[in-house]
Amino acid sequence: MRRLLSCLALLFVLAAPAMAEPVAKPIPIGIAVATTSNVALFGEEQVNGARIAEAYFNAQGGVNGTPIKLVIQDTAGDEAGAVNAFQSLISAKVVGIIGPTLSQQAFAAAPLAERAKVPVVAPSNTAKGIPQIGEYISRISAPMTVVAPISLKKALAINPNIKKVAVLFAQNDAFSTSETSVFQEAIKTLNLTMVSVQKFQTTDTDFTTQVTAILGARADLVVISGLAADSGNLVKQLRQFGYKGQIVGGNGLNSPNMFPVCGALCEGILVAQAYSPMAELPVNRDFVKKFTEAYKKAPAQFSAQAFTAVQAVVEALRKAEKDTKKKITSMELAEARQAVNKALLSGMVIHSPLGEISLDRQGEVIQKQFYVSTIKMNPDKKTGAFVLTK
Amino acid sequence: MEDFIARYGFLFVTILQQALLGLSLYFPLMTGQLSLASIGFYALGGYVAAIMGTHPELAPLRETLGFFLYPLEWLVALAASTLLGVALGYPALRLRGIYLALATIAFVLTLGVVVLSLPIAGGAVGIFAIPQPFEDRLAYAWFFGPLLALTVFFLWRLERSGTGRLFFSIREDELAAAAMGVNVTARKVQAFVIGCALAGVVGAMSAPLLNTWNARQGTFDAAVACLAYVLIGGARSKWGALLGAALLVSLPELLRPLKDSRMILNGLVLVLACVYMPQGIAGLFARRRS
Repeated sequence: MRRLLSCLALLFVLAAPAMAEPVAKPIPIGIAVATTSNVALFGEEQVNGARIAEAYFNAQGGVNGTPIKLVIQDTAGDEAGAVNAFQSLISAKVVGIIGPTLSQQAFAAAPLAERAKVPVVAPSNTAKGIPQIGEYISRISAPMTVVAPISLKKALAINPNIKKVAVLFAQNDAFSTSETSVFQEAIKTLNLTMVSVQKFQTTDTDFTTQVTAILGARADLVVISGLAADSGNLVKQLRQFGYKGQIVGGNGLNSPNMFPVCGALCEGILVAQAYSPMAELPVNRDFVKKFTEAYKKAPAQFSAQAFTAVQAVVEALRKAEKDTKKKITSMELAEARQAVNKALLSGMVIHSPLGEISLDRQGEVIQKQFYVSTIKMNPDKKTGAFVLTK
Repeated sequence: MEDFIARYGFLFVTILQQALLGLSLYFPLMTGQLSLASIGFYALGGYVAAIMGTHPELAPLRETLGFFLYPLEWLVALAASTLLGVALGYPALRLRGIYLALATIAFVLTLGVVVLSLPIAGGAVGIFAIPQPFEDRLAYAWFFGPLLALTVFFLWRLERSGTGRLFFSIREDELAAAAMGVNVTARKVQAFVIGCALAGVVGAMSAPLLNTWNARQGTFDAAVACLAYVLIGGARSKWGALLGAALLVSLPELLRPLKDSRMILNGLVLVLACVYMPQGIAGLFARRRS
């Protein structure tokens, strides 16, 4: 008898997943970013931003009265980790996934969500081809095609005599390599001469070779596409070797983490930004205030983008309820996931800390506002700020 | 059950894949040589498969071959790895001990930079949307499973063959082996190349599994991870690589419910394993048997 009972119990357990599943309450939203490994610096910023969003939107009443809940899974820095985190979130019955941190991870993990028909909003993937992975894949992180040329024009406005430009980029970073091609294109259109193109790795600390080449080419403008730590060291060595001209940095330099690296030598760098904490938008003011209260520092771009990704999912959930005239929690999971994706791709306008954004039919982001800032260092030489250039 | 398979299917396949990479290091270890080159050949094999699977000029070939494209990718990766393995092995294996390890690390790093500079390899983003032979990730066990079985069987035969005994003689005492007339360099290169070829094929199988391939697959970190499978598992037994990979790959996933503290516990287990099992997990079993 006991054996029979245990057999029946086993059968029941096996049969359970086959039954229709409702959406849990509070509504679970998955976050799959890198909170460990060498990408953790970005992942932590993303988690911080997403947590502020969770509290902020729940305080607003969540999804028309139903609160949301973030389910956070670590992807680590590799592709296999991203696949495992996505799989774990899909099994955790989330209505949508926000992540992963790197574009390369997205190419490995996003097809999984596509097959399971779970909407994915990428908060920081900028490589070409991300929304094209599938119907359910979209992103709120824009590639730098608009802002890069603007930052060059600002440099020319400051010093109209600039003729010779040197370009540097981190060869092993997906974002930097795509950004540098935009910069190089813009340099050609502005009729400037490209006197030197130098490559480096994000893990490098010694840039003597590159700096010597640039000084030899007598460049009067240097354009850098890299990440915070490497670019910080690069700027420091450029200045120490006697480079006096203007420096324009890409979006990778849009991080306060660079200040301690180049210290006072950071002063005056023009940085192209997809997000500025100083942007005068109501939602951004709220976000910056809440973020500063919680973490005692101004939010970085990765945090603002993660906030925006959560906002996109929340607003899609609200819109789905309005369009179907049904509560999300009364829908079946598959139905809810489909409704969220439909709402995301409906072209709805999101008033986010990044400014006004929307997604096109394919899931590609359309961002209106970009910023160019100048780095102003404080007298303590360790902290500073990005001041919007007029 | 369905949930369990969906959740851990990929993990199971990853264990098989990483165990094979661990085994590719076991071959040079049979001759007592510590090499970190496997991950470089793994990356190379992956690029071969990724380029063959996505390059627009090879589209007619893909259409005529259909599923047979995959075995062809393995063969091309095997050939490329063997050639490069011989070319690298002869100069490198004249080095000993730590210098050989350094030379192989240098090879891995050089390969990484070369790949980043080659337009055909897609730069930093790498190659994506690689055609998939299977819908379900668990089905990739049909690739890695038979290869693993074949490799273990091959090792089992090799360890009992004359060649295997020659390998072991070099591991135990290189000078004595040379004095007995063993062509030490040739044997070392032989063992090294078998390992390289295996890693190349594993790479070619892995590119479709991950759907994407980039320079981040062949980093120094990944090389050290592979070495850790062998060291934690046991460097003197073919089962060591298997056990080590199973433990090291599955541990972070099984500890996932612990959230942030999982990496701490993961590290703790590894340190304890090193301290209390100097012969690795396989060494523990061997001691019990004797």
